[in-house]
Amino acid sequence: MSLLTSILASTISVAVIMLYATIGEIISQRAGIMNLGLEGIMLMGAVSAYFTVVHTHSLALAILTVIVVGALLGLIYAFITVTLQANQVVAGLAMMTFGSGLSGFIGNSITGVAANLKFESLPIPLLSKIPVIGKIFFSQNLLVYILYVIVAIVIVYIYKTRPGMTLRALGENPGALDAVGINVFALRYAYCIVGTILVAMGGAYMSIAYSNSWQEGMTGGYGWIAAALVVFSAWNPAMAVVGSVLFGFISIIGNYMQAYFPFIPVKFVAMLPYIFTIIVLILTTGNFRKKHTEAPAALCVPYDRESR
Amino acid sequence: MKFGFEKRDRMPGYMRILNPVIFVILALAFCGILILTLGFNPLSVYTKMLKSAFGTGRGLSQSILYSIPLMLCGLAVSVAFKMNLNNIGAEGQYAIGAFAATAIVQFLPPMPVCIQLPVMFLVAIIAGAIWGGIAVLPKAFWDVNETIVTLMLNYVALLVLDYVCYGPWRNTTLTVPYTDTFPESAWLPNIPGTNIGIGFLIAIVVAIVIYLFFRFTTSGYQISVIRNSISAAKYAGINIKKNIIIVMLISGALAGMAGFVQVCGLTHKLQPNLPNNAGFTAIVIAYLSKFNPLVVILVSIFFGGLTTGSYAVQISGVPSQVATLIQGAILLFVLAGEIFTRYKFSFSHKEKMVSANKGGEA
Amino acid sequence: MKMRKILCLILALVMVASMAACGSDSKQPADSEAASGESAAPSGDEGSASADLSSIKVGAIVNVVKGDGGWCQAQYEGLTTAMKNLGMDVDSQLIFLENIAEEQSSVQAAVDQLVNEGCNIIFGASTGYAPILSELAPSYPDVKFAQAGDKVDNIVGYQIRDYEAMFLCGYTMGLLSDSDQMGYSAGMSEASVRRGINAFALGAKAARENATVQVMWANSWYDIAAETECANTLINMGIKYIGINASSPAIPEACQAAGVYCTGYHMDIKERAPKSVVTSFIWNWAPIMEDIITKCAEGTLSTDDYYFWGSDKDCAKIAPINTDIVSDQTVIDKVAEMQDKITKGEYQVFAGELKDNKGNVLVNEGEVMSDQDILSQMFLVENVIGEW
Repeated sequence: MSLLTSILASTISVAVIMLYATIGEIISQRAGIMNLGLEGIMLMGAVSAYFTVVHTHSLALAILTVIVVGALLGLIYAFITVTLQANQVVAGLAMMTFGSGLSGFIGNSITGVAANLKFESLPIPLLSKIPVIGKIFFSQNLLVYILYVIVAIVIVYIYKTRPGMTLRALGENPGALDAVGINVFALRYAYCIVGTILVAMGGAYMSIAYSNSWQEGMTGGYGWIAAALVVFSAWNPAMAVVGSVLFGFISIIGNYMQAYFPFIPVKFVAMLPYIFTIIVLILTTGNFRKKHTEAPAALCVPYDRESR
Repeated sequence: MKFGFEKRDRMPGYMRILNPVIFVILALAFCGILILTLGFNPLSVYTKMLKSAFGTGRGLSQSILYSIPLMLCGLAVSVAFKMNLNNIGAEGQYAIGAFAATAIVQFLPPMPVCIQLPVMFLVAIIAGAIWGGIAVLPKAFWDVNETIVTLMLNYVALLVLDYVCYGPWRNTTLTVPYTDTFPESAWLPNIPGTNIGIGFLIAIVVAIVIYLFFRFTTSGYQISVIRNSISAAKYAGINIKKNIIIVMLISGALAGMAGFVQVCGLTHKLQPNLPNNAGFTAIVIAYLSKFNPLVVILVSIFFGGLTTGSYAVQISGVPSQVATLIQGAILLFVLAGEIFTRYKFSFSHKEKMVSANKGGEA
Repeated sequence: MKMRKILCLILALVMVASMAACGSDSKQPADSEAASGESAAPSGDEGSASADLSSIKVGAIVNVVKGDGGWCQAQYEGLTTAMKNLGMDVDSQLIFLENIAEEQSSVQAAVDQLVNEGCNIIFGASTGYAPILSELAPSYPDVKFAQAGDKVDNIVGYQIRDYEAMFLCGYTMGLLSDSDQMGYSAGMSEASVRRGINAFALGAKAARENATVQVMWANSWYDIAAETECANTLINMGIKYIGINASSPAIPEACQAAGVYCTGYHMDIKERAPKSVVTSFIWNWAPIMEDIITKCAEGTLSTDDYYFWGSDKDCAKIAPINTDIVSDQTVIDKVAEMQDKITKGEYQVFAGELKDNKGNVLVNEGEVMSDQDILSQMFLVENVIGEW
């Protein structure tokens, strides 16, 4: 039992890396903007957080920097995709290349430098005493708790509030919103920026909470997996939680397979999460099922008032 | 006075070429600012990069050597993009192509050159096509997003390389993961008088063939119809499912060919992470080339030069990541510059602009 | 409206640029830290070097960066220390290229650059360059090449008898452990890594007769999440003493968070997790590199040379044992005693009778394993649990 509890606690801490990015991307895609540059943005978040910590020894400043950097990247991305109406798949890949190049460029000087300051685990007084659940969910660090709150807010926001309804419409039928006098461009800018900030936070979580270091390309593909999880979750934040936890669990279970089933080659075990993602993607979004999930109708479609 | 964008019908021809060039220069200026902040003179950095990448015979041949897999992957990605298929799995298809070619050497006895190389070539492109096909079948039949599937298959393919290089195919005289060197019958020759592999010529021939295919054949025409409008294509009775599969098979085959060219033409052995991000860089290249196969070749050489040139400036202390940074910035800027192919700047009175827009709509 | 957006963009660019500007400030501490990391190593060759070292230019290529806190940093520090000991000027005589992928076209282009800059000797300082440099070397007859790790044709090879120090790491952990079950978190299955595992396990066994070592592969050279989870897996299995072969600080951090102990790898990483790191395995490449550079200047370097130096030349070292964790002086004394025996050659790590974990006899009673087998390590010893 305690082994399972520990496994699940680690699962949560890994899942959070992906979940920040997935939630951010869901917000952005709900607004009709696809951003495949998650990897690059996460790297920028990771490097700016660690950079700030190394130089200022302040976690608060680090988070502030990440928010500013995330907002800037979001602004650039919104400018390119909303105002300039560029192809979003390519713009995302450009963002990825640019982000990983720039983060490496900036991070060159702090690679291997020890900051020795991170968000340490912070058990919540009463809640962490609850058997099993306390250890799994409430003995994590501050950034994890913040994400719990963010996820709750986003779920309520999207499904229970008026602006949330507007957000959903933004990705489905922006023309209708425009017709009732809502500024589609401004909203898309806003959601793209908010989403990008969350994605960058995922990177920051990696460099100053989950671990405490910076290395070029340290996100190691989590950004891409988050992009897959968005589709997997059917743009539903609650499902994103399930997806990232499931993905985290499968990659961790791989380690135990090494110990208990040593005859299975390690490399094959390492393939499991990716194959799993493909299969789930086919099962959930394939149109052989009547109730398969579909992407927001206006996803990747730049809004152009004239061709309304 | 009001400033804004005004729709235009068609960009003048010279502008369509000039426009990306202007934005490449802007991107370089932007990166120049970053380089300047590190205390280096961007102009001398760029000059040094260009000089060492293209200024000497040896430099040029290194740049071309580096760019050969980029070309083939770039072509692979462009072909898929021609039909709005996002093949971001060139990396994996490349890896599988190299894996399959190596499998011939591993499992079959050495053959005469004139059989060995064609067999390896065929097997590599078939393997690449299959890997691309796996990714696109769910798309063709069930409309599953191919972007994510191709991406996930990259990881699987790279792990396959890992597995064989660390495991059954490892060269036991080395402690690092490489396979044995291929017998010489499996070596592609160099272009006589140079150290550039014949793969360069293969890439150029392939580019020309693709160019002609899209220009002059019915299938090529069908694909561009599908790209422009799926409903129009359906109306015209084009089998979209079939075309999606065919295009992706071709795309995968081209990336697989890159694997063949690389292992037979250059490394003569398999190793983990052989593609070294070529499949991703290829996407940037394909887009910058506007999916024009002939331009892909040129842009690839430019990108190869960026990488080799970055080694030269590293010597004076510029961070090695400068090449990736420039590549990303160029794509971002050119992408942003795209708007001018559809719009033009205007300084005009508001009323006037609205009427101009209405004109564009009609 | 549009104007405002463009203004925003320009603002954004300026801010990103200014952030990069801050980046340049921090370059200094990283470099000075790297330079001061190693103390000067004693060398017997200094007096005999009659050749002109001032005209020698040294080139090196690595696949990560010189400040990576791991392998590349050890290589860089080895080179700079060696050059300083030889009275050479590091700034003008060393060209150190980073981020050169272990892949033919990248290596070829990088080597070309180094040769153009007039390098007389080029160090392939990441192990993966071996077969590539081996093939490239003949086309540059005036330049000497040295490759870390393997001995391949046409170039000098160098490796450290890392197992001697890794054995001590395992021995220390074995002395401290209150259980027979220990763990080892490893990167990828290369010979040097397996050598580390085996030596660690043999060291543990020398301290505790029935010690076993559970291996956990991270399947990567640097993956923070994978390494953390490897460590957590071992910890969750109830293991409290863990050996490490990984470059990122993830594992020591995970160990510290869980209150278990580990050894460091590459360099003394005590400051990364002061409550967990008992001791660290340390590469000291300086003596080897000093010899290679000297011989290169003298013209006596032969491409048949293979350097496989160990603790007798001070190449394989462990960091001072962390006395905040180990309060028992007898442990420290025992480790020192063992270190002394190994240095003097009185104790052989890979000596018979030695079995692998499939039951095959590797070395017969009374014999010692050949250097070739020590280098290739196509086995995991008896008390290692895991596959490779």
